[in-house]
Amino acid sequence: MSKKQVPVREGLFTWGAEGPQLIGSRCTRCREVTFPEQQICPNCCTQTMERLLLSRRGKLYSFTIQRHQPPPPYRGPDPFTPYGAGEVELPEGVIITSVLTESNPEALKIGMEMELVIERFFDDGEGNEVVCYKFKPVSKY
Amino acid sequence: MREVAIIGVGIHKFGRFGEEKTGYEMGRDAVIDALKDAGIEWKLIQAAYSGSVVGRFGDAIVQDLGLTGIPVINVSNACATSGSAITLGYQAVAAGFYDVVLAFGYEKMPRGFIAIADPGISGMGLIWFGAIGLLVNPLYFAMKIRRHMEDYGTTEDQLVKVSVKSHKNASLNPNAMYQKALTYEEIANSRMVCDPIRLYELCAPNEGGAAAILCSMNVARRYTRKPVRIAASVFKTRLYGTAEVPHIYRSANIKAPTPVMEAAKAAYEIVGIGPEDLDVAELQDTHSGDEIMHCEEVGLCPPGEGGRLVDEGATEIGGRIPVNPGGGLISCGEALGASGLRQVHEIVLQLRGDAGPRQVKDAKVGLTQVYGAPGVSSVIILKR
Repeated sequence: MSKKQVPVREGLFTWGAEGPQLIGSRCTRCREVTFPEQQICPNCCTQTMERLLLSRRGKLYSFTIQRHQPPPPYRGPDPFTPYGAGEVELPEGVIITSVLTESNPEALKIGMEMELVIERFFDDGEGNEVVCYKFKPVSKY
Repeated sequence: MREVAIIGVGIHKFGRFGEEKTGYEMGRDAVIDALKDAGIEWKLIQAAYSGSVVGRFGDAIVQDLGLTGIPVINVSNACATSGSAITLGYQAVAAGFYDVVLAFGYEKMPRGFIAIADPGISGMGLIWFGAIGLLVNPLYFAMKIRRHMEDYGTTEDQLVKVSVKSHKNASLNPNAMYQKALTYEEIANSRMVCDPIRLYELCAPNEGGAAAILCSMNVARRYTRKPVRIAASVFKTRLYGTAEVPHIYRSANIKAPTPVMEAAKAAYEIVGIGPEDLDVAELQDTHSGDEIMHCEEVGLCPPGEGGRLVDEGATEIGGRIPVNPGGGLISCGEALGASGLRQVHEIVLQLRGDAGPRQVKDAKVGLTQVYGAPGVSSVIILKR
């Protein structure tokens, strides 16, 4: 029997059959976008936010490869395996920090197109598989 | 507002000192060193500001030095902790509340990457973000310098050169953690930590203490012929539109000046000088790339030209604007709560002409700058 999948935290993303999307918010006054969703606009300092589902695709803004095990509360695999991390710029005018599916720096290039996926990160010890968002290169570089 | 001077500085060497030496004791030893440097008695201190990220009871110092009843305020502000302590002391003396105060800092950091302590209770509130592996400081340094390389052509060669300079300067500093000069090859071949940052280009969290005694200028002249004036001491948090350590997202539309730029700008305005008037600077080189980017952010060169500054040798002792003559964080390590005061200690020595073999010739104006999570910066301008 396959394990039940649970999000690392509620309210970060949708992951229905139509494909995953990050749940952000947009200020109705200044149009700035936050992720995750929040009540007060960090730019206007007022309660002027509305929910906004973010685009699945964006461009790689910067990246690195994390080659050493992070300190707690990290809950990645044991033994540790290196992973890519990057910033992805979405058309809504927001840049998201994310783990990447790719951990080979030669396969990553700033400006390349990336797509949102939901993947397993760790098991929670209660029989569930904990999932969260990652960005994946759309085509091989 | 009254003029404020530093009449004494003290330091406990940065490094690793084992179980038998507590962080607090290193802070206390730095205070004793500073009192000796100033030539004053503990009884003259009217208030103290104690900086530590892990430690919480700097007021224990009164047991060791004398129970005089003075207020001791504990300060914690990540890498800008002792910058905050100095700023509070400076404001209190400038405003006339006290004539003589103490700012000191200490730390005993666990080994390895800095864990953003207890994210659940520290206010960062990002347990899920840490669980998926995105609460790692060097990762953000790496993404920032990677983008800088893309935008401005900064090179891995320049990152290596910054670290070569750091270790060379630290070989002349008895209070540095690493006092051995390293070759270009040793640094360039050290293992990759977070691409493009290599192990020997990255500072190690460690242990140590530092202290400064602040005094109104008219009182200072009673104790020293070489008072160093605090011309400005500024602390800033981030504006909307920057990318900090760490960040879940950032705006792609609005790009605001970094807290370092904001703190430096405010400090220059207070003093009425510009970066061209500086003779020496101690900057937050958490890694080589940070030194390059912070040179730009405090205005030592135009945006994007920090790498060229390195190539030209401008930041070497003897260059146009020496940066981190004491070896910086890369070679001294970062004892968080003491790090900004270590920078002040170095600049005070430089301005008094007491820096020995690493002396910057005829230094009259110096700047210190720290940067920390989640987007804080302190900039201090000192003048002799």
